[in-house]
Amino acid sequence: MLVGRRAFLHAATGIGAALAMPALGGCGGDDDALTFFFQANPAEADGRQRVIDEFARRNPDIRVRTLLSGPDPMQQMLTFCAGGKCPDVLMAWEQTYAGLADRGVLLDLNIMLDRDPAFAAELAAGGVAALYDTFTFEGGQYALPEQWSGNFLFFNKALFDEAGLRPPGRWEDAWSFAEFLDIARALTERVRSGEVRQWGFVDSWVPYYSAGLFAINNGAEWARPRTVPGRSVFSDDAFVEGVQFYADLANRYHVAPAPADQQSISAMDLFAQGRAALAMGGHWRYRTFADADDLDFDVTALPSGSARRGARSNIGTTGLAISAASRHREQAWEFLKFAAGPVGQAVIAETGLFVPALRSAVRSTGFAEAHRDIGNLDILIDGPAHSAPLPVTDQWPRIDALMDRYMGPVLRGIAPATSLADRLAPEAEEVLRNP
Amino acid sequence: MARRQARAARLFIAPNLVAVAVFLVFPLGFSLYLSFQQWDMFGPIRFTGLGNFRRLLTSDPLFTIALRNTIVFTLGTLIPTVSISLVVAATLNRGVRGTGFFRTVMFLPLAISSVVMAVIWRFVFDTNNGLLNMMLGRLGIGPVPWLVDPRWAMVSVCLVSVWKSIPFATIVLLAAMQGVPADLYEAAKIDGAGAIRRFASITLPLIRGALSFVFVISIIDSVQAFDQIYVLTGGHGGPETGTYVFGIMIFQNAFAFGDAGYASAIAWLIFVVLLALTVAQLWFARKNSADR
Repeated sequence: MLVGRRAFLHAATGIGAALAMPALGGCGGDDDALTFFFQANPAEADGRQRVIDEFARRNPDIRVRTLLSGPDPMQQMLTFCAGGKCPDVLMAWEQTYAGLADRGVLLDLNIMLDRDPAFAAELAAGGVAALYDTFTFEGGQYALPEQWSGNFLFFNKALFDEAGLRPPGRWEDAWSFAEFLDIARALTERVRSGEVRQWGFVDSWVPYYSAGLFAINNGAEWARPRTVPGRSVFSDDAFVEGVQFYADLANRYHVAPAPADQQSISAMDLFAQGRAALAMGGHWRYRTFADADDLDFDVTALPSGSARRGARSNIGTTGLAISAASRHREQAWEFLKFAAGPVGQAVIAETGLFVPALRSAVRSTGFAEAHRDIGNLDILIDGPAHSAPLPVTDQWPRIDALMDRYMGPVLRGIAPATSLADRLAPEAEEVLRNP
Repeated sequence: MARRQARAARLFIAPNLVAVAVFLVFPLGFSLYLSFQQWDMFGPIRFTGLGNFRRLLTSDPLFTIALRNTIVFTLGTLIPTVSISLVVAATLNRGVRGTGFFRTVMFLPLAISSVVMAVIWRFVFDTNNGLLNMMLGRLGIGPVPWLVDPRWAMVSVCLVSVWKSIPFATIVLLAAMQGVPADLYEAAKIDGAGAIRRFASITLPLIRGALSFVFVISIIDSVQAFDQIYVLTGGHGGPETGTYVFGIMIFQNAFAFGDAGYASAIAWLIFVVLLALTVAQLWFARKNSADR
């Protein structure tokens, strides 16, 4: 059969339009599933899926479609939501959620909590207040915490036993900076050529945040006040000294790898391979280390440089938020109630995925069972109570960029930490005062 | 008949025109509009007039850093790209032995995406175990902190950019060289001109059009550079501000700080500068050809 030119053109136009329709319709608008955006490393993603599966089993009428974040979740969320395709449930990070809350992207969960007083009372009675307070911004509750993911130290038990050392089992009994340095020195081993065979201390967090955490453990604060801070603390003596001590571990005392040393092998791999005695990180590293061959590890507190007894972690909590534009608000709330409420938190505790945000879950047998190789479980259980929150401000991305820029030379050992007072502090102050 | 043909032609080009309007003209116009507004991509758009441009030129310390880095990156890419491409194109034009293999290897970078390329180069630039430092080590040169030290980081991104730009520049220059009449070279040879003299006095003047095209395209590519720098040294243009160029500045303001108006203002300022450079280049090219 011969097809005329006109018929061909009409057919081509029709086929083209049909092909273009799904693309123009955008992604995600094709079904009624609840979309859940989160970030997880591969080991975490498995545990996360178990929580989602359990929710699906108990709520067969709500389908959950997961969206796994790339390396920059904030940018991804901004793009999704600005483009009108905001996921229904979003993972929220303590230092970045304020930027989304300020733009009206996140639903104020007080609306849902007010409608559900029994659940609200359950959270108030069983939750760690500091974790919930982290997600309050300008009077709104923008996420429900599902975990505490502050930093602590993982230590290699075999290496410590060999050296006859016993690390503290509680935050109150933390090492001093001097004791920590001695231990890191004792556990750093070099071969004859000078190359390091085993590091005393490695850091798997973001270096400039880690330096800040050492400063917090030197008696400093991140910002004043915690929410919508008006001034930075980067020029305070305690902050400067804490950052300098952290930088010196690599550059002066050579007990920790310098940035160049970590290009070819990550801190995580060094610890997992038994080539580091202490590794700083949060519970999100737990599964990776637990799955590593021949690695017998436990957890301990960070060192403390201040006169105050005991050490602190960072709150580092992540929570779950609901998009203000969600068409599945009720289903999303059911999901939040599950994940942040007693039932879901108990499941989380059993999976060993997180340190749950509810006291009942973190003190449950399931949590202890999931961490049966951990001797110093109090480090995890008491972590939230010994944590300092990061500042909550919608200007955090700018402060973050400034910290990266000005702490870089200090961490590479080419500028003293006192330089922060001249450069980082005034610029951060300017950003906080004139957003 | 003519009317039917015209109608069919319009139907055929309509999808392309729609695509150009939706994906090119509209974003361009919208970004120009945004450059005079303040907008965080969610709240209401507020008119700020020339406020974004004033802030950029007078009170943003990162503007001078981005400008300096962009100029360094452009020169660091342009000069080696053009020099190496000229040599390579001249070599290929002479048809040396193994030209086929050489040509294939040379053009490989064109087939690889910038992101994949940058990821591979990250391994090459590793300070302790990278290929580059291992090779330098055999020559007795100590490890170079390629992506750790801000100055070396700029050298690193220039190296990658040169590697990526050479194939295209070579193709253009080679095509121009192949258009040079062979009898000119023969006459010059008879007059006793050596290879370098022939290259300087015959090849270069006769490929001037292609050369200036390569110059302009290389400058535009360098000023717009983003992907390889982002993958190699991160979204902050680090380490510190060692590789903080305009492409990174636009991205950071738009997608990290959510300041779409300001990011648009930066983009339009760059566009105006590039347009001025291109117009100047065309004017000089025309003037030179008229003088001849």
